[in-house]
Amino acid sequence: MKRLQPPIMVPRQIDLPVATATKLTNGVRLYHVSTPGQEVLRISFVFAAGSAHQTAPFVASTTLNLLSEGTQNLTAQQIAEKIDFYGSYYDVNIDRDYAVVTFCCLEKFFAPTLQLAEEILLHPTFPEEEIAIYCAKRKQRLAVERSRITTQVRELFSQALFGKDHPYGVSYDESAYDRLSREEIVAFYRNYYTANHCFVACSLSDNPQLLSAVQALASKLPAGGSETPFIFPTPHPTKHLFNPFPNAVQSAIRVGRLLFPRTHPDFIGMQVVATALGGYFGSRLIRNLREERGYTYGVFAGMVNLDHAGYLAIATEVASEATQDTVQQIFLEMERLCNEPLPTEELENVKRVMLSEVLRIIDGPFGIVDVTIENVQNRTDNNYTNRFVETVNLITAEKVQDLAIRYLQPSKFTTVVVGDCDIKPITKR
Amino acid sequence: MISYAEHTLSNGLRVIAHRDPTSRMAAINLLYRVGARNENPNRTGFAHLFEHLMFRGTHDIPDFDTPVQMASGDNNAFTNNDYTDYYITLPKDNIETALWLEADRMMGLEISAEKLEAEKKVVIEEYKQRYLNQPYGDQWLLLRALCYKVHPYRWATIGLTPDHVRDATLDEVEAFYHRFYLPGNAILSVACDLDPDTVFRLAEKWFGEIKGSSLPSATFDPEPEQTAARREIVVRDVPATAITIAFPTGARLSRNFYLSDVISDLLAGGSSARLYQHLVKERQLFSAINAYITGDLDPGLFVVTGQLHPEIPTQRGEEAIWQELQDLASTMPTDYELEKVKNKFEAETIFGEINVMNKAMNLGFYDLTGDLPLINREVEIFRSISAQEVSTAAAEMFRPERSNTLIYEIGKA
Repeated sequence: MKRLQPPIMVPRQIDLPVATATKLTNGVRLYHVSTPGQEVLRISFVFAAGSAHQTAPFVASTTLNLLSEGTQNLTAQQIAEKIDFYGSYYDVNIDRDYAVVTFCCLEKFFAPTLQLAEEILLHPTFPEEEIAIYCAKRKQRLAVERSRITTQVRELFSQALFGKDHPYGVSYDESAYDRLSREEIVAFYRNYYTANHCFVACSLSDNPQLLSAVQALASKLPAGGSETPFIFPTPHPTKHLFNPFPNAVQSAIRVGRLLFPRTHPDFIGMQVVATALGGYFGSRLIRNLREERGYTYGVFAGMVNLDHAGYLAIATEVASEATQDTVQQIFLEMERLCNEPLPTEELENVKRVMLSEVLRIIDGPFGIVDVTIENVQNRTDNNYTNRFVETVNLITAEKVQDLAIRYLQPSKFTTVVVGDCDIKPITKR
Repeated sequence: MISYAEHTLSNGLRVIAHRDPTSRMAAINLLYRVGARNENPNRTGFAHLFEHLMFRGTHDIPDFDTPVQMASGDNNAFTNNDYTDYYITLPKDNIETALWLEADRMMGLEISAEKLEAEKKVVIEEYKQRYLNQPYGDQWLLLRALCYKVHPYRWATIGLTPDHVRDATLDEVEAFYHRFYLPGNAILSVACDLDPDTVFRLAEKWFGEIKGSSLPSATFDPEPEQTAARREIVVRDVPATAITIAFPTGARLSRNFYLSDVISDLLAGGSSARLYQHLVKERQLFSAINAYITGDLDPGLFVVTGQLHPEIPTQRGEEAIWQELQDLASTMPTDYELEKVKNKFEAETIFGEINVMNKAMNLGFYDLTGDLPLINREVEIFRSISAQEVSTAAAEMFRPERSNTLIYEIGKA
């Protein structure tokens, strides 16, 4: 029997709570999301201490990872024991711009977890023997990572977009770990783990003592540190790069171009273009490369936002023999977006995919903290996310096509391949 | 604690409903009691291939994903050795869209020869991407074959070889669908801000008319007890020597499962755990090391796996692992250490109860085990484990004649 499709309710707007912001005496901004009744809480300290700021290879990630490997009052092992004993969750994360230190715990273990946070953030000692162990371990793991085509292509793509010496494009040989000194780590910590490089985002129940304790800790972050402004060098993109990976049964492909960061008025529009091209299951590239041709298990397109730049990226791993045609098809699909407006239904589908991503992320306190962090990093607040939803809702097919015509010119694109063999240059028809 | 209510429709479909007043989303999980273990040994990888085909459209709804997306939802699926799981999250008000779609593909799947051919290629690319084109990517393919000689756990869900996927026919697809994709062979679990009676009424509305009887549950020849150590050495173009040692352990519902879980946490649950502290930090033999259990319904595996630093002889690495295992068997863990892993288990359980999708998926899984209330008893079971019991279980499990050792040596393959 044929059954009627149930009616669909489309949430046209979201109401993301604006995180309550406080400025502490040392200048640190603290963003707080209240989650009454929730017995799990999260506190994230965000430092503008990403790898683009580093003065020596691997110093940014090493500093971050060694915060918990020995402090004035606790050894690395004692810290690890305490975190595990409370069942707390300690995680660090780094990208080109930011280093993020996150603590999650049950409310009943809040006080001891916060004490640990204080040791880790304010009193790390960076013991020589811990540095040696860490560097040997990471050197080996990086070698393992780099035996994957996906790692190789990621590094090669950044290099192709920005230039091999650019802070957003550079990658270093594993052997650079052998030369990393404690002085460099300590200096990096003193320069970047300070109040003027930090903001805090947290989700806490409505017990007011929790918030004041977090405020008290964040207020202790020292002033000072590096005051050298980050100078963003001009990127020098390369049209094509290839890394041979003999006998690989798949090739890793990246196609993309530099555009602009999230602060640019066309950024959201280009997120719509990228989503239509390859941002969801049912996108042009999924239908073409996966469902029709069976070249790949997956293909993705998206806008990537960094502090000082942004780019469009298309990423896939495909059967080696399909490498050439895949690149050809990617350019053909971009051309189609320039030549024909998106059919109404497809545009509506894209919009709802983008909305649904937001709805899922903000359903829960941890996701709201994630969104808050991203908004603060972009010098906005959670109203941005509300505006994002409105902007996406209002965009027209004409606007999408205009953006495609303006920004998807093939001559501006970079292509990177890691695999058994390179592609021949794509000839423009 | 997760509150829930359960109900069985007259066609055998199990329905579990959990109310979460804090979420505006609904999570709908549909679990079918069919996994790689139900496959014909000459057509391995089939359950997983079939899972892909479930997204390829039905007689009435040619495209599964679009209506989910139009309802502002997201969906996906996975297959393992024991079962196949389909899940959707969308705004609560659109819950019926999810039920409409799942009910539709439970009865009207329509796969053409062309769709089957295209999807086989996708799955073969998945095979390459995840298992062949990765350092150590075939670890689980090799390990299963080493550890199991009889039970269908001897192959991974992706299948023994891409050829099995390539050779699958449309007739086999039809037969598999009619045999396993029945309401009586499925569990629908829903987590959202609706009262359970409403969920049961909606389940009846969308699934109630689907015909089908329950299947007798499949049983498999048990794996005979292992009596001699097994060892396999492969030479591959990998950057570091990798050592993996696996031991048979208990079924999901046995006490032995929980003991093994505690043992894996003592060895590798967090950076304070023994293997990391002793072998990575103190002795600096390994750059990475881990221990875990597979958690399969039938007797599964306890696995220790690590990558050696350059220059460290394989034998030294193996001896170091064995020493850690034997220490646990010969000396009881302290009360403090045991308390630590129990606290951690409890915290992880609570962390896992934040997200509606997680909860819906867990409810489906526990119902599959045949002991749904277990979902709220596990913390208590963990708490009841004594140090003596842990050591006894370690001594029983970590016997050389029950070990399966897989070594990746560095070299040109």
